[in-house]
Amino acid sequence: MDGNPYKQEEKYTIIIGCGRLGANLANTLSDNGESVLIVDKREEAFRKLSPSYGGLTMTGDGTDVSVLNEAEIDKASAVISVTNRDNTNIFVSLIAREYFNVPHVIARLYDWERECVYQEFGIDTICPAVLSFKEIDKLLSGEGEERGRP
Amino acid sequence: MKNRVVLVGGFHKTRSLAKSLLKKGYVVTVINENEDNCRILAEIEKLKVFVGDGTKPFVLEDASVNEADIAIALTDRDDDNLVICQLCKKKFHVKKTVSIVSDETKIPFFYRMGVDSVFCAVNAIANFIEQHALLNEMATMVPIGESRIQIAQVLIADSAAAAGKKMNELKLPKEVIIACILRGDKSRIPGGDTVVLPGDTLVLIATAKHEVAAIKALTGL
Repeated sequence: MDGNPYKQEEKYTIIIGCGRLGANLANTLSDNGESVLIVDKREEAFRKLSPSYGGLTMTGDGTDVSVLNEAEIDKASAVISVTNRDNTNIFVSLIAREYFNVPHVIARLYDWERECVYQEFGIDTICPAVLSFKEIDKLLSGEGEERGRP
Repeated sequence: MKNRVVLVGGFHKTRSLAKSLLKKGYVVTVINENEDNCRILAEIEKLKVFVGDGTKPFVLEDASVNEADIAIALTDRDDDNLVICQLCKKKFHVKKTVSIVSDETKIPFFYRMGVDSVFCAVNAIANFIEQHALLNEMATMVPIGESRIQIAQVLIADSAAAAGKKMNELKLPKEVIIACILRGDKSRIPGGDTVVLPGDTLVLIATAKHEVAAIKALTGL
């Protein structure tokens, strides 16, 4: 990694939900030397983190204002909500964005039909089904062509 | 035209609210995820019941939420309730959205997101129980006449609403009279301009069911 410790110091990412995606993301960010805090309501979930994970963990409900306060969400440069419930991710994103003014908010959503709820708030969303569809479409149509970036 | 109300989620609260709204002439629709709950709810006459997850737009569409005047989110989950209200407002243009929350610290956030009325059910119940528990400490009640009449003894604390007021300034239900004031070791029958002082004990006679309102009015709880 191109280590500029000062620049990385400023970044503080909070991840809500320690599933496969959350844990991998936390491991990667931590390996890159960023400060990371991962929140999950089940303590066992943190087993998915790698032994070398250097960030923090917090057991609690990510939709709980007091948990978010304890996580110092007001200092976060990014909040990434990747629990297995769409409504929870929407809720966390809205509260991070509208209540705590977090600059960068990302939510994983399985169902994109609820778009009107969050679209006007500048929340970045990723939808696994849409990503998969694009990728499959590319594989089908792009046979023989060079496979570029997603 | 009759007002249309949609209740999303919840069971016990939904059931009693639906009954009460129907009685008042509203057109009421209920959306509930649980089939067994829906079956019980469907026993209520004139109530329309839809099985499904009310946080999904197509379920709300099936239940014709777009025709509703008021949508009330009553699930146990705050995140679901917010999504329900937001969908109703933004996608289906429901005029008024109402939500319960389980955590009262979220109330300002719900208002900020555009929900029109927000209530913390847990908190309301806790306050109610506390009031009644405290009431028993502040007042001693004796039922007479097969409990149709209550004689209650109420201690007026410094902070009580009645402290320092004249008898005729007290806002008491008609069914209640203050029979006697005990002050120190003396007792007196009060007149309209008798002032209630902190430390007084008032003896009330009330017809049943009005004593609690009277005690509340006097103590200010």
